[in-house]
Amino acid sequence: MTAQTVQQGDLVTVIGLEVHVQLETDTKIFCGCATEQTDEPNENVCPVCLGLPGALPVLNEAAVEAAVKIGKAIDADIPEETRFHRKNYYYPDLPKNFQITQYDEPICADGELEVAVEGERRTVAIERAHLEEDPGSLQHVGGGGGIDSAEYTLVDYNRAGTPLMEIVTAPDFRSPAEVRAFLAELEEVLEYLGVFDAERDGSLRIDANLSIIPEEEIDGDDTDEIGMDALEAANRTEVKNISSHKGAEKALAYEETRQKNAIQRGRAVEQETRHWDESRGITVSMRSKEEEKDYRYFEEADLPPLRVSGWKDEISIPELPSARRERFQAEYGLSEEAASKLTSTKQVADFYEDVAGEFDPDLAATWVADNLLGELNYRDMEITDIAGRLEEVSRLVELVAEDEITAKNARETVLRSMLDDGAAPDEIVEQEGLGKTGEDEVQQAVVEAIDENPDAVDDYESGDDGAINFLVGQVMQKTGGSADPGDVNQLLRAELE
Amino acid sequence: MSENIYITEERIEGADDGPLSGTTVAVKDNISTEGVRTTCGSEMLAEYVPPYDATVVSRLKEAGATIVGKANMDEFGMGTTNETSHFGSVDNPAAPGRVPGGSSGGSAAAVAAGEADVALGSDTGGSVRCPAAFCGVVGIKPTYGLVSRYGLVAYANSLEQIGPFGETVEDAAQLLDVIAGDDDRDATTRETPLEEGETYADAATGDVDGLQIGVPTELLEGADEGVVETFWDAIAELEDRGAEYHEVSLPSVEHAVEAYYVIAMSEASSNLARFDGVRYGHSADAEGNWNETFARTREEGFGDEVKRRILLGTYALSAGYHDKYYKKAQDARAWVKQDFDEALSEADVLASPTMPVPPFELGESLDDPLQMYLADANTVPVNLADLPAISVPAGETDGLPVGLQLVGPAFGERRLIRAASALA
Repeated sequence: MTAQTVQQGDLVTVIGLEVHVQLETDTKIFCGCATEQTDEPNENVCPVCLGLPGALPVLNEAAVEAAVKIGKAIDADIPEETRFHRKNYYYPDLPKNFQITQYDEPICADGELEVAVEGERRTVAIERAHLEEDPGSLQHVGGGGGIDSAEYTLVDYNRAGTPLMEIVTAPDFRSPAEVRAFLAELEEVLEYLGVFDAERDGSLRIDANLSIIPEEEIDGDDTDEIGMDALEAANRTEVKNISSHKGAEKALAYEETRQKNAIQRGRAVEQETRHWDESRGITVSMRSKEEEKDYRYFEEADLPPLRVSGWKDEISIPELPSARRERFQAEYGLSEEAASKLTSTKQVADFYEDVAGEFDPDLAATWVADNLLGELNYRDMEITDIAGRLEEVSRLVELVAEDEITAKNARETVLRSMLDDGAAPDEIVEQEGLGKTGEDEVQQAVVEAIDENPDAVDDYESGDDGAINFLVGQVMQKTGGSADPGDVNQLLRAELE
Repeated sequence: MSENIYITEERIEGADDGPLSGTTVAVKDNISTEGVRTTCGSEMLAEYVPPYDATVVSRLKEAGATIVGKANMDEFGMGTTNETSHFGSVDNPAAPGRVPGGSSGGSAAAVAAGEADVALGSDTGGSVRCPAAFCGVVGIKPTYGLVSRYGLVAYANSLEQIGPFGETVEDAAQLLDVIAGDDDRDATTRETPLEEGETYADAATGDVDGLQIGVPTELLEGADEGVVETFWDAIAELEDRGAEYHEVSLPSVEHAVEAYYVIAMSEASSNLARFDGVRYGHSADAEGNWNETFARTREEGFGDEVKRRILLGTYALSAGYHDKYYKKAQDARAWVKQDFDEALSEADVLASPTMPVPPFELGESLDDPLQMYLADANTVPVNLADLPAISVPAGETDGLPVGLQLVGPAFGERRLIRAASALA
């Protein structure tokens, strides 16, 4: 990986991530409770996810399958068998006061993910990715509303036991922008795999470690060569409570500046955990003194080791966004930008391929990437919001491809009306009288326009090419705007020859 | 009832018909019963009423059994005498004034006193076999994975199994037939190895002709003289019926007690972490931050022995000590398993006194936890090795019951039942 060093004096920013991703499974990782979000607190709970005395965990293999898919996507090593450990700590959102997680035998190790940062391909090393259970969630009520100032705290265990994948990167990032690009790519890959729902509240949670070290500690372009001693020596902060790739960039940019300012003013950067306050756009210290935590990991005997050696071969994963982007460029002759837009989510790419299979790939690209995504974006909608109506969009492209309506009407009237009013394209065309006027009718209007405007014809014939525009306007008027101006132009010229 | 056998006396009727129809069962109070409090012998859970049945309780109900009460026990199973119970100690019906053994003392006493036909206990390091021996009844510790632990409040989850008590081997085996077998709710269980039409109970034929008994010499060392004498009398009786014995060696067992307590306490420190007063159980006044409230809840709710084991287990798992204690104990565990495998390759079953001593007098051992731990020397190796064992009455010394322990290969319960049924 080529290091893009962010330089300020002789300082370099080094960032590593721990990304917690909620896996999309029907049921929780160790019990049969539904994972769907509900408004009622403590509704999707049972003896197991409440940690009642005597309850035992049973591993949901769907979560392991999702983890293996992720492992394949990031080209990770998947062990012969995988096992679980207990991470012991006391917290009211943790029903058993230990979390079942993985320790020295994670389901995925030594993976990588390729990312485009400012047009350059980069590879980020992923040290490990492991499965664990999500704790419940806390709501601090009354007083200052903060963890230390609230009058009391409510606990909701609906989330407890939702399968999580913790993805740990190497300290490979040199700027907050790189982090953002990586997270966006990661989300895309996870969505492609069908193991992740970005729309779900709290489905992505990021902890980032950021340190500032002297530049000479980075040996050329090879980030593996960062002196680990230098990283150890530099005080790092762990920034928690980041929940999106945009938030990550903002939080880390803030933290980078804060640390550099401190160093340049000769103040020490404290080793501490800081909380990203999204609304205020700042990080705040959570604990004044960072102590080394001792989680007393040991094997979870209630879950026998699971043999997964064959799973990598048995489980298939779809084509990933980067591969698909390249194929779109080669197969459909698209620009990199168009290919990127069209592979931004799996649903968009699938729809594009449907449309491109039936009609001209360029026309399909314009319609899906520019028109459809543009109009959706304007309405703050996603393609998933109209998942049931994609056939109607196809039909609209067909109307354009077959010259039944003009591209302009299709985009500005039909598509917008489809999205705003929910009508079907043929209905709108009919109601608005947008059907392209028949050729005979246009031809007749052309003849009439020529007959009725001898002056314009004279001007044209004496070399004033602009006069043709006047005649086009006349024809358009006669046809109520439903003729194609380009076609009319051609017909007029032919008639006047 | 003078013996203080039950913590909660309540009848739970099972199905109208079934193999245990008309049979009364005492259930150790660390086995969850829906709607009936399950205290684990602790103040912490004195008012805790589970909303679900343990798998073994569901199976008892389906089999038509009548549960007659929740049996007294050492707090969270931590004890060898039943004296750590928050609800007071149990008097031994077979030896009044003496302890019934622990930790399933109430269960064994219920059978010995005729308060229940059979009983369920749990055995983490001898907690079924010890009280069976002290009360003069039969107790089986099944192979790890034969009986579902779903609903058994965990003390040391890698070591323990629920096991049956009966007056005879056949009674206990009949109860085993009902509770054994795989359970979707316990990932460590597996199917019984029984053939079609075979049961555990029908192995109780008393036929020991040709049985090869291995006697591990290490398990006789340091045992009470009267106990050893009674043990050899029982072996002689088995010889009379056609069995043969020879001495075998289990050199690793000298480390077994240490390894057992390190592992059991480590697991306990984690298993008992959930008792913080937030969701169920005793809850201290919520003053100060939640860590302070957790600490006060646990200080108030747990007894001394439980606190001792949690603290020691926390220590054994801590950074810097983990390798020295927990990891070393795991290595010893592997070694013990290997020793048993070797010994069982030269014998069908291994025999020893269940307990090296006759039942203590009430109050005798309370002040010396170490003495109590050492009394488990013959039982804990079996849990470390995940093997099945049975304790069967061997006779008496000075009027006090002595138990004979037989250990078999993994899932070899039928062999143990056949051999032990020659004695009871």
